[in-house]
Parts: sequence; structure tokens; C-alpha cells
Amino acid sequence: MSGQSPELSASVAVLPSDVVDDRRGSGPPAPRKRRRFQSQHRPVWEEPPTPVGASLKFLTLAVMVLVVVFPLYTVVLTSLSTQAETLRAGGLVVVPGEMTLNAYKQILSGGIVTRATIVSIGITAVGTVISTVVSILAAYGLSRSNSFGHRPILFVFLITMFFGAGLIPTYLLVSELGLIDSYWALILPGAVSAFNVLILRNFFMGIEPAILDAARIDGAGDWRILGSLVLPMSKAATAVVALFYGVGYWNAFFNAILYINDNEKWPLQLVLRSYVLQGVTLPGSGTGQVDVASGAVTGLPIQMAVMVLAIVPILLVYPFVQRHFTKGVIFGAIKG
Amino acid sequence: MNTRTDRRLMDLQVNRRSFLGMLAAGAAVVGVPSLLSACSGSSAGPTTGYVAAGADVIPTYVPIDYAKPDFPSVNGSTPGFATLPAELVQSVPTPPGKGTAFTAMTPLWGTIPPKSGNQYYAAVDEMLGSTIDFQITDGNTYGDKLATVLASSRDVPDWVCVPTWNLPPRFGSEIVGNVFQDLTPYLGGDKVKDYPNLANIPTDAWRYCVFNGKLYGLPFPGEILTDAIFYRKDVLDGLGITPDVKSAQDLLDLAVEITDTNAGRWGTEDLWNSAAIIFAVPPKWKLDDAGKLVHRVESEEYRAALEWNASVFAAGVVHPDAVADQSGDAKQRFQSGKTLIANDGLGSWHEALRDNLASNPEFWQQPFAPFAGDGGTPVLFKGNPANIFSFLKKSDDEARIKELLSLADVLAAPFGTTEFDVVNNGVEGVHFTRDDQGMPVPTDLAATELQPTYIFLVDGPIANTRVQYPGYVEASSTWQAAASEFVTEPVFFGQQISEPQQYASIAQPFVDLEKDISRGRKSISDLDSAIATWKSSGGDELRTFYQDILDKQ
Amino acid sequence: MTASDVKDGARSGAGTPAPPPARTPVVQRKIGWRTRLRRDRSLLIMTLPAVGLLVVFAYIPMLGNVIAWQNYSPYSGFINSTWAGWSNFERVFSNPLFLNAVGNTLTITAFQLVFFFPVPIVLALLLNSVITPRIRTTIQSIVYLPHFFSWVLVVTLFQQIFGGAGLINQTLRAHGHQGFDLMTNPDTFLLLITMQSVWKDAGWGIIIFLAALSTVSPELYEASAVDGASRWRRMWHITLPALKPVIILLLILRLGDALTVGFEQLILQRGAVGAEVSEVIDTFVYYQGVVYGDWSFAAAAGLVKGVVSLGLVLGANKLAHVFGESGVYKRA
Repeated sequence: MSGQSPELSASVAVLPSDVVDDRRGSGPPAPRKRRRFQSQHRPVWEEPPTPVGASLKFLTLAVMVLVVVFPLYTVVLTSLSTQAETLRAGGLVVVPGEMTLNAYKQILSGGIVTRATIVSIGITAVGTVISTVVSILAAYGLSRSNSFGHRPILFVFLITMFFGAGLIPTYLLVSELGLIDSYWALILPGAVSAFNVLILRNFFMGIEPAILDAARIDGAGDWRILGSLVLPMSKAATAVVALFYGVGYWNAFFNAILYINDNEKWPLQLVLRSYVLQGVTLPGSGTGQVDVASGAVTGLPIQMAVMVLAIVPILLVYPFVQRHFTKGVIFGAIKG
Repeated sequence: MNTRTDRRLMDLQVNRRSFLGMLAAGAAVVGVPSLLSACSGSSAGPTTGYVAAGADVIPTYVPIDYAKPDFPSVNGSTPGFATLPAELVQSVPTPPGKGTAFTAMTPLWGTIPPKSGNQYYAAVDEMLGSTIDFQITDGNTYGDKLATVLASSRDVPDWVCVPTWNLPPRFGSEIVGNVFQDLTPYLGGDKVKDYPNLANIPTDAWRYCVFNGKLYGLPFPGEILTDAIFYRKDVLDGLGITPDVKSAQDLLDLAVEITDTNAGRWGTEDLWNSAAIIFAVPPKWKLDDAGKLVHRVESEEYRAALEWNASVFAAGVVHPDAVADQSGDAKQRFQSGKTLIANDGLGSWHEALRDNLASNPEFWQQPFAPFAGDGGTPVLFKGNPANIFSFLKKSDDEARIKELLSLADVLAAPFGTTEFDVVNNGVEGVHFTRDDQGMPVPTDLAATELQPTYIFLVDGPIANTRVQYPGYVEASSTWQAAASEFVTEPVFFGQQISEPQQYASIAQPFVDLEKDISRGRKSISDLDSAIATWKSSGGDELRTFYQDILDKQ
Repeated sequence: MTASDVKDGARSGAGTPAPPPARTPVVQRKIGWRTRLRRDRSLLIMTLPAVGLLVVFAYIPMLGNVIAWQNYSPYSGFINSTWAGWSNFERVFSNPLFLNAVGNTLTITAFQLVFFFPVPIVLALLLNSVITPRIRTTIQSIVYLPHFFSWVLVVTLFQQIFGGAGLINQTLRAHGHQGFDLMTNPDTFLLLITMQSVWKDAGWGIIIFLAALSTVSPELYEASAVDGASRWRRMWHITLPALKPVIILLLILRLGDALTVGFEQLILQRGAVGAEVSEVIDTFVYYQGVVYGDWSFAAAAGLVKGVVSLGLVLGANKLAHVFGESGVYKRA
């Protein structure tokens, strides 16, 4: 009932013209001249904004978008420019000049990036599922404040938010468990984020207790309630938490540095970073042998291409997640 | 791992230069537990100070010349080859390996090469007779990886590369003796003659591998000079300026002359490292006239360098991005002509040529001939005799160690040998082709498969062989030969000294102070108070510690 | 005031109030813990996987913090490292730079609490009020992207625009004006890093508020509008209450996190403005401890930070109770 928004964000509205014409009486409805700010998406009951309000809103939104799009454009453009062009521009390229796909070609050749992408996708998918499921269970288990052991268990989660373990103890544990060089080392240690659990818990606790009580009176156990009632109502929260976890797994690279020795198992972020590391002059490399691969396009275009490649998958996935927390228009209430 | 820690750590490219600056500022990264503590009970007890290498510890030096340099070494400068030898000699007649599979851990600043089907690895393994399986790690975070691996002894690979800037704390006192193999019985004195290429490595480099009086490391020899002050000769020629810089003031005047902010051109990058060179700031200690040790931060030279650098910033000739400490892009700015004077490692010279000649055939950077701040005789301090070490995992299996050393022998083959050619260039026809000068021209496959790996384990003496850039070898060899006349060894040169742990961070404030004073946020009087704090928080005790070592020598 | 109250209020309107329902006396039975355990066992089982993972991967390594009381050396390990008592903690507090770091940390937190924390909320409300779904989702799909840029890139971008040789200054100079350098000015550093944080993370921050807003039934808006509530009234009575629980949770957690303010962002700009304004607790620990492999020092500092942060969360929670909110957890 309340609190439910459908997945469809299609605009279903009653056109103002209908209302107006009804008031006028019989006769074929004359095409109504659109008043200012009369959008077909606006629900009947919402008053149109003032001109000042509308222009302020427009301005703010425009600034917001511009401020983000311009740097994005620069990054993409630089990734498609030649090294010479970046030297000419003295850094990031703003005006298109010499363009080339060299940066991308270099990164994507050799199959390393492809393999790393598969590794990353696998880790992210498995990790996100595990993390989200475990977090949903835990959050629901903590959603009744008078349940047995509620406070102590909550603190178990809270404390992990403020006290961490050092680099070495964590490494030793993973090593003792025999997880070095295993993909599980990239999933299990970070599988539970207390922050995400708290968010889910917060959403669960915001559900009308009356609904849950009614189900309980009808004889449903907690598992049933969680599965058939709470989860369908919490698509937004679940989507958000899954997104947070997914992004976390996708972006992680430092744990791979520590736990994965086999270079074939490197996730994407780590491989991409290695492209950014070129161009470092090592001490003692004066005339000596240490050298980065010659002929490579070093520098800015590659770094920007790396950034673009790292973002593209998120760009692809985000719309699917987004629709779960988009404001929707209810076409009739769902009787609860 | 906690995502918070993930976020926090090492996504940043901690500027290697600044980190090295911290090292130079006295943050010696080797230490012992507090001297007041009780015996810790580990098998090899902590050792303090410095134990001089006995006569039979350092390998005898037996130089071999497989190719004659066109620009021979002068006072230890790097020999240069203007042309490549027509014939390569095979230095090790048969592959010494017994087919054992070894693991090795090395850093990498570059893209990861594939493992399966990698013809480069296959070729080198064939040359060795055994296989080396590399665990490559991101170079910028190599220190963290090292720290964790060394803490968990069962994860230590057979052969571990340790750059000098990543030497973990308490390395000399606790780690090296317990984790790594003492090589003195295998290589000390004349025993090294079993491995002719290792015997070809200069004595200074070996001396630097001695910890607590025993030989542990295999070196990557360094050059006598590591940095230089470069300027864009091609751009200055275009402006009609021929620099005649004999003193610090000349340099500043030149910088002012070439700065033209309306044209988007600033004179210099952050020249702090240059200031240290010009004013002969000692890397760590120097001796005053009375024979007493004076620390770098207390020295007159340090003060003069700071004052001069502050005047450079104040003159407005430093590029604003450099003022904002964006040193990662310094090369970009220098190569695109936004700054015309910059400090960099000598390696940047040929790297810049590699990256720019194709699109800008006129590109040329040139180091200034050495000069002193006041116009007198310059003093240049010798660079570390080795910048990278590798260590063998401790083992009772003598045969295993001997086999590893024989592999090292192959990898240390110097320029002029077929082994050197394979390790550095790969397989002819696959990774490179030869042009009419005999120069190796890398193929596309080289960019993916051929990355520095074996090089991080051990190397022969350095040679300047980059003949593909016209005029480069001659320019750099003659420059270095001329500069070598002013090179002198700093106090404690080439000695691995285990410093007590509690003094590790007392020099840290100076790293920030150098930036602050240079940019005018603080003044020289702040330096005085910092020195006073340094003295009282352990500086004087540190001096006593080193003085004792000095007196014993 | 919850959403349901408004709805009821909107619906009932004028009219004779119904007589209060007769109260049947309820016998308050004390529920024994065994009964509660049995009643709640499903809930407990549900928390088991997460708790298990945390115990193994978070708590066991946490025992490693014992090195805060030792002179830890990775080779000697936990067993053999010598005992140091409280000396590591003393070293943390007695370091003259520590106080400065704490001061900077608190200043930055306070500043960002006022100038950064509300921004995602305001933006979410703004976006929520955009009528056309197409526009709304498009904007939503763009503004979160800077979150994925590395700090290195963000600082570089800012340098290219606001730096001494940047776009703005170039334009100023071309017109004969004096330039300014926002990137190296210690006095405006607070403003600078907040601007950077807003640019990078505000768009990402709106996601969670949008999710909260999406749970509000439009019926509520409709009903209250029909009853004559203006748009501001609707916001006050419907929208904001819908956001309240999330805002309070995030506020409490943010306060608990008060001692953690950016790390990478600050290290990258430390040289530009000087350590005096940019040193925070995390960078202090890094430069004094981690860099030199002084794990004991880092662990001691981390523990101090953790204890204080936990205290802050508990305090903030109590404060929430005072204001009638339930906070992260209710009082027993």
C-alpha cells in the first residue's frame, strides 16, 4: 500500500485539458492553448512553478550538469588525442586537434585487459550477490529493536566501522586461511559493510509496522515476511545497496596487490593502473637498462583512456539500477 | 579488506621523488628496536650500527670487456658506445640451470606482460636452463607488498627484489639475517670467480650489499651521478639565447629572462633538487673542519639552498602548477615547453627523446655543465653505488643457492654479450629487428611481452648504449665524463648502517619545511627552530651514534 | 509526524471526532529471555552469516591492534615483539604536530558538515521536483560520474581551471588583470577542498536520498494538495519527513566519522598549501608512522581515533534521543 512505487516510471497523467473541458460542458473539446510551464507530465494537483522559481531551478540544474559534463568531455577528448596534441595543449585537451585511437588500441591489445575484465566481472557479480544477500538478512535480523540480542549484535557491526585491522594482520589471516592467490581473498574479507547493513536496516525499520504485524497475526514466520513482504517493498534500498557493493568490488585494487601473486588473475583496475604508471624515471636508470617499453604512447592520453575504460561499465549498469529508485507515478493505489 | 582502508591507501602515486627526498633527508629506513628493550628472542638477534666487511666478504673485482666503448669511463663515469658491436659474444657457454622452477618477486612501473605464450620469457628461460616465475607488483605500492610478504615467511619467493627506497625498517637488524641467504660463503673474495659476470660488477656496488658484515644482496649497479639540471636547448636556441650559467645567480637571471607568462611560458619547475646540487648539500652527513659530523639539515649548504630556492619562487619564474606541487606532470610541462628548466634523473634524457623526437624532431634537452652556487668549484656527491638489490631466500640447500647464483651470472652479462642482448631486447625477429646500423628496432610485440623483470634481479655494470638517438651517447657520455671531475664521496658512502628505529621520523618535518620555506609560507627563522627541535628530539643522539661508527673506521 | 499521520489528517478533515475506543486493561506480562530467544530465533539466524564473516575477517585481524602496546616488528611477529606499554600512545599525543592535525580535522569536518552535507539533500529535492522523467533520469545519470574519477584527476582538473596557469587566470591575464591562485592559497584551502568534494561526491550522494524519496506514495502529495497544502507545506510535511530517518542516520554516522576527512585529496595538495592547513589525523599517522614502517605508532593512533569516533557516535545518538528521534538505536 503506502510506500510502494512501481517500477514503471512511465508518465501516466490526466491531461489538464480534460479537466478544463469537463468544466466547460458539452461539445467537442477545443484544443487548449498550453499555458506556460504546463507540462503533460505534471500531475493534476501540482501547481505550476513561478517564473522566478522555474528559472532558478533551470539555472541550478544547468550549472550542475555543465560542471560535470565539461570535464567529462575533456577527459574523453584527451583520451582520443595523440600525445603530441596533449603536449601542444600543455595537458588536457579542450579543443579537438589531432585524434587517434592509439591509446585504446594499446590498452586493449594483448588480451590482458580482456581477461582482467572477465575476472573483475566475475568477482563483482559473485561478490555483490553474496554481500547483498548477507546484508539483507542481517539488516532484517536487526530490524526489530526489542529482539533478542539486538543491541549487542548491532554493536558488532557498529564497531567495525571505527576500528580496523592493520595491513599486516589482515594479510597474515588471509595467508593462514590459504586464500592467497584465490579469488575469494578479493570477496570474503570485504563482503560485509556495516554501513550498507545500517542503511538497509534503516529502510526496513521504516516500513509500516502494521503491515508486518498483520502478516504475523496471519501466521507468517519471519522468513516468509522477509521474502514476500519486506523485499518487494524495498526494491529501492536493495538496489542502492547492491550498487554500493558492486561499485566497491569493481573499484577495489589494493587487496589484489596484496593477495594475488599470479598476474593472470589480476582484476581490471589493477591492470589499468599499470598503464598509468608508465613514464616514471627510476633512479640509476640514467643510461642503464631499466626502461619502460619503448614505442608506447605514454602519458596523458593513456591515463585518460584508462579512466574512461574504468567508468564505462558503471555507465552501462547504472540505468538498470536507477530505475528502482526513480520517482514513479502511481496509477491507482495498491490495496494492501 | 575494509574499503575505507582501501580508499585510503596507495591509490595515490606517492611522488617517488618526494619520497626519495625523505630518504635523503635522513629518514634512514633501517632500524633496530629500542636499545632499552629486552632481548627479543629471535634467532638472529638485532644488530646495531655498522660492521665493516672483512677482507673476504666483498667479491674480488675481475673486469671483462666484451666491447670497447667509444667514450671510455672517466673517474667512474658511464662508458658510452656510439656504435653497436658487430659481433656479440656468448659469455656463458652452456645454460647453467638444472630445470628447477623458481619464483621471483619484482616491481613494475608499466604494463603487465602476459605469462602464457610469452616468447620473451621462453627465450630467457632457455638461456638460463631453469624457469623463473615472476610475481610482478605495482611499483608504487611495492613497499606495502614487501612489508606483508616479509612478515609471512612462508610466502617469501625464492628471489626478491628490494629497491633501496623500499628497504623496510629493521631490515638490516632483523629481516635480512633471518629471511635471506648469506652469500658470503658463495661469493666472498675469490669465490666469485666461479661466476665471471658477477665478478665484473664493481666493488662499490658489492660493498653496498653488505649488511652486518656479511654479503646478502645482488646489486643493480648505479651511476656516479643520478640527477642533472636540464634545460630545453632547442627552445632557447629558438629564442636566441645561449645560456652561460656559472653560478646560482646566473641561473636565476636566465630563468627570469625566459619567463613570459603571457606566452604561457615559465622559466622553471620546482628546483629544490637542483638547489641541493648547486649548493652541494650533503645527502646526510658531512664533516666540519674539526672532524665532527654535521647533519644535512644543520649545514650551511642546506640553508643557502633553501634561501636561493625561496628567491627563485619569489621571482615568479616557477610554473604555478609546480608551485602547487603537481610534480607528476612536470615532465609533461617541460616537454611541451611550458617550463624550460627542470631537474630530473639522467634517465629522463633518453626517455624524453624517445617520446618526443617522432613528433618534434628538434627536441633536445641538455644538462647544464656543473657549477657551484657562488661560482666557484662545484661539488657533486656520488650517487648510491647500487639502487636496487635482490636477495635469495634463505635455504640450507647449497645446490639450490648455487644454481640461483649461476642464473644470476647469466643475467649479469654485460653489454656486448648475447645474453645481454636477449634480456634487454628479446628475440630477434620476434621482439625486434635490426636496422642498417645494427640498432634493435622494437616490434609491437615487444611493448606487451618485454617488460623489465630480469633486470630487477641483477645487472651488469651500466653502459650507455642508446645509439638510436643521434648525438645522445656522445652528449651524455662527454657530459658525465666532464662532471666526474667534481664528484666526491659523501661520508659513509656505500655503507649499510642500521639506524635505531626511534630516530626514523625526526627528519620528517624538514620535508614539509623545504616546501614551505621555498614557497614563502615560512621563513628561515622557522628552520632554526626546527633544527633545535630536531636536535633535542634525537638529532644529537643520532650524531653520537654515527660518530661512534666513524671513529671505529 | 509520519506520512501516515498526514494522510489520516488530510482525510479526516472536519467532523465530529469519534469517541476514543474503550481501553481493555492489558496485562503486562514479562517475557522471559527463553521465550524471546525462541521467538526471535529466525532473526538471529539471519544475522549469522554477516556476523560470521565479520568475526573472521574483521575481528580476528583486529586483535592485531595489540601491536599498539608493543614495539612491533613484522619479522618478530606478535609473540616476540617487545612490550612497550603506553609509550606508543604517548608518542602520538606528545607529537607537536598532532594537535595541529586534530585542529585541522575538526575544522574541516565542521565546515563540510555545514557546506557539504546538505548539498546532496538539496540536489535530491531539486531533482525530485523536476517533472519530466526523461530530463530527471538523464541528469541523474550524469551527475554521479565524478565520483569515479580518481582524486589525482580531480585535483588536476581543478589545477587546470583554477590554478595559476589555468583557464581562468589565462583569461584574466589576457584582459590585463592580475591573476589569482586558488590552488596554493592556504587561507582559502577550506573552501577549495569543499568545492572539490561537492563536485566529486554530491552527485553520488543524492542516490540514497532519491531512494528514500521514491518510497513516498504520490497519493500523499495529491491528497494534501487537494486539501490546499502549498508546495512548501507539502515539502515540510511529506517530503522532509520521508527523508528524516536517512538524514539522521547519515548525520550520526558522519559525526562518528568526524575524525576521518579525506586522505588522498589532502596528500595531493599538501605541498601546494603547506602541512599547517592540510595535515589531518590520517595524514599525520601516515607520515609519522606508516611511511617509516612504525606500525605500532599507526596502530596506537588508529585505536585512539576509533575510541573517540565510537564515543562521538554514541553521543550523537543520545543527542538524537533528546530530540525525540530514534537515532541509530533506541534506548533500551
